[in-house]
Amino acid sequence: MMLLVVGTSFNKMDVSLRERLSFNEASLPRALDEINARYDCETVILSTCNRVELYVGRSTVDSGGWPLSEAETGARLFAEFLAEFHNLPLVEIEPYLYSHHDAEAVRHLFRVVSSLDSLVVGEGQIAGQVKRAYELAVERACVGPLLHALFQHARTVGGRVRSETGIAQGHVSISSLAVDYACQVFDRFDDKTVLVIGAGKMGALTLRHLRSLQPRRILVTNRSYAKAEEVAKECGGKPLPWDQLDEALVQADIVLSTTGAREPIVDRARYANVLPKRNGRAIVILDIAVPRDFDPAIHDGDRTCLFNIDDLKRIRERTLADRRQHIAAAEHIVEQEKIRFLKEWNRRKNGAIITRLTEDVTSKRLAILDRLRRQLDDEISPEAWQRIEAALRLFQNQILHGPISALAENAREHGSHDHYLLDALRKLFRLQD
Amino acid sequence: MPIERVTTLCFAASYAVAMIFELVHQYRPRPIMRLFSTIAGGAGLFAHSVFLLVQRPGLSTQFGSLLLLAWIVAVFYWFGSLHRSRSSWSLFALPLVLGLVLLAVVWTPMGTATTIPVVQNWEQFWGILHGSLLLLAGVGICVGFMASVMYLVQAQRLKVKTPPGKGIPLLSLERLEVMNRRALNLAFPLLTAGVLVGAILMLQEGVLERGWLDAKVIGSLVLWGVFVLLLYLRYGAHLPGKRLAILTIVAFALLLITLVSPSTHFAP
Repeated sequence: MMLLVVGTSFNKMDVSLRERLSFNEASLPRALDEINARYDCETVILSTCNRVELYVGRSTVDSGGWPLSEAETGARLFAEFLAEFHNLPLVEIEPYLYSHHDAEAVRHLFRVVSSLDSLVVGEGQIAGQVKRAYELAVERACVGPLLHALFQHARTVGGRVRSETGIAQGHVSISSLAVDYACQVFDRFDDKTVLVIGAGKMGALTLRHLRSLQPRRILVTNRSYAKAEEVAKECGGKPLPWDQLDEALVQADIVLSTTGAREPIVDRARYANVLPKRNGRAIVILDIAVPRDFDPAIHDGDRTCLFNIDDLKRIRERTLADRRQHIAAAEHIVEQEKIRFLKEWNRRKNGAIITRLTEDVTSKRLAILDRLRRQLDDEISPEAWQRIEAALRLFQNQILHGPISALAENAREHGSHDHYLLDALRKLFRLQD
Repeated sequence: MPIERVTTLCFAASYAVAMIFELVHQYRPRPIMRLFSTIAGGAGLFAHSVFLLVQRPGLSTQFGSLLLLAWIVAVFYWFGSLHRSRSSWSLFALPLVLGLVLLAVVWTPMGTATTIPVVQNWEQFWGILHGSLLLLAGVGICVGFMASVMYLVQAQRLKVKTPPGKGIPLLSLERLEVMNRRALNLAFPLLTAGVLVGAILMLQEGVLERGWLDAKVIGSLVLWGVFVLLLYLRYGAHLPGKRLAILTIVAFALLLITLVSPSTHFAP
C-alpha cells in the first residue's frame, strides 16, 4: 500500500489563502482527471470551507509512476500540483501544507471523518462531505481498491465514533439549540403559532430554522409597522401592529424576540396579565435580543420556557465541553480502526501473493507428478502412487510454510511499509503480476 | 421446563435483567444492549403470560389483580420499547412492571389460590365485568402515571435548562401531556362504569349499607373523586401540566392502596 494525504486545514492556513486553494464544483472533477492522467494513481479530493486535502494512493508498490515510496518527494509533487492548479506560487502555500503517509494517512482520514479534526469537534457535516468527495471520485473513475477500502472503512469509523461516544451529542449553533428546545416542549408544529418580535438580523437564522418546522402561522410585530410588514413578507407571515403585542402573546406558542429595545419589553407584571388568557398552554420564548426583551423571572419550565441568548451560549459551551470529554474515547476508536484497516489490507495484499505462490508451486508439483506417471506407469502400484502424491504435497506445504509465515510476521511487525519481502518472493519464485 | 413450573420469580428476574440492560444502555449506548433488553423483556412477558394462563389467579384477590395489571403494563412496555426505541420508555415502564409484580408477590395467596371462575350465572358475569372495568381503568392510570413521571423529569430539565440531548432521551412535554390526557380520559369512563356495576352488585347482594364501609369500595370512590377533580382542573381550571402530573401520581398511589386493601365484606 502507498497512501499519501497532502493538504491544509483551518488550523494551519488562513481563510484568505485557503479559499484560493479550494476546489469548486467545476474545478474538482478537472483536478481529479488531471491527477489521474498525470500520475496514474487513485485520488479523492476533499474540499470544504475548513480544509483542502488530496488523498492519493496505489494498491501496489511496483506499478511505476510517481515515487511515492519516497514520501517527501510525493508530498512535494502534490504540493506543486496544488500550486500549479490554482496558479499560486509554491513558496506561498508550502509552509502551510501538511502531509501524512500510509498508516498516518489512514489515521488522519479517520480523525477527519470522526470530526476530531474539525473546527467544532463533533460537528456532523464532515462525514457527509467526505462521503460526497469519495462518491465524486468514484464517478470520475479515480478510485481503485485502496481508496475504495479506505473510504468505506472511514464511513464505518465515523459512524462508530458517533454512536459509541458522546462526541456528536447536542447542537452547538444558537439557532439549532433554540429549535431543539422548542422540540423538547412541542411534539408537532403544524398547529402552532410563531410570533416574531422585532426585526433584528440575529433572529433571521433562527427564524429560518423555525420555519423549517412548518408552523401553522407566523405573526410579526415591530414598533415600526413597515418593518413588521417587511419581515412578514420575507417569512410568509402576518404583520401585526405593536399595540397588539399582548394579544399576540396570548395566541403564540413560540416567540422569537430580537428587538433592539434598551429595557425589557415584557416584564413580569405584563406577562402576568397575558398568562391566565393562555388557558394553561405552554409557550417557548427564544429571547435572543441584547439587552433582553423578556424578564427571565417568567421562566418556569412548564407553562413558560424562556431561553435567552446567554442561556443558549452557556448551553453551547457546556455541549462543547461535554464533547471534549469524549475525545479520548474517540481517538481510541480511531486507533483501533486504523490497526484493523491496516491488518485487513495487509491480509488482502499478502493473500494475493500467497494465492499466486501456492498456485504456482501446485501447478509445478502436478506437472512433475504427471511426467513421473507417464515414465513409471506400469512399475508402480496405485497404493504407491498415493504415497508419492501425499509425500509431494507434504513437501510443498513444508516448502511454502516458511515464506507464508515470514509474510505474516513481516506484516505484523512492519505494517504496510516494508515491501522488500514481497519483492523478494516475487523474484525468488518468479511470480508474474 | 414444564409450563406449570413457571413462577413469579421467572418473569420478575427477566424484567430485572431487561432493566439492567436498559440501564447499561443509558450509560453506554450500544444497540446490542437495547436488543438484549428487549429480548429479556419479551421473555419476561412470555413467562408472565404463561403464568397467568396456567395459574389463572382471581381478579378479586390482591395477587391476581396486581399481576394482571402488571401484565397489561408489561404489554405496553414491550410494544413501547419496540416502537419507541429512541426514547426511554422502558426505563420508566420496567420499574412500574417490576414494582407491581413485587407487590403482588407480597400478597401471594397461601394454600390453594383463587382462580378466575368460569362464568356460570349473571351474577358472576357482572362480578367479572366489575373487576375487568376497574382493572382497565387501572391500566389507564398506570400509563398516566408513567407519562406524568416523565413529564416532571422533562419539565425539571427544562426548568434548569439542561442542554438538549443530554441525559436520557424523553418525549416532548406536549406528547407526554397528550399521553396522560388520553390515558385518563379513557380510564375515567371505565372507572365510573366499574364503580356503578359494583354498586348494582352490592344492591343485588343486599350488602349496600355495610358494603360502603369496605376499604376497597372506599378506595375506589376516593379514586373516582380524584378523577373528577383531575378532569375539572384540566378542562375547567386549565391547571399547568406539572400540577396535573403530580395529581395523576396521587391517583396512581390511590390505585395501589385500593388494589392492596383487603376486602372485609366481599369474599374473593
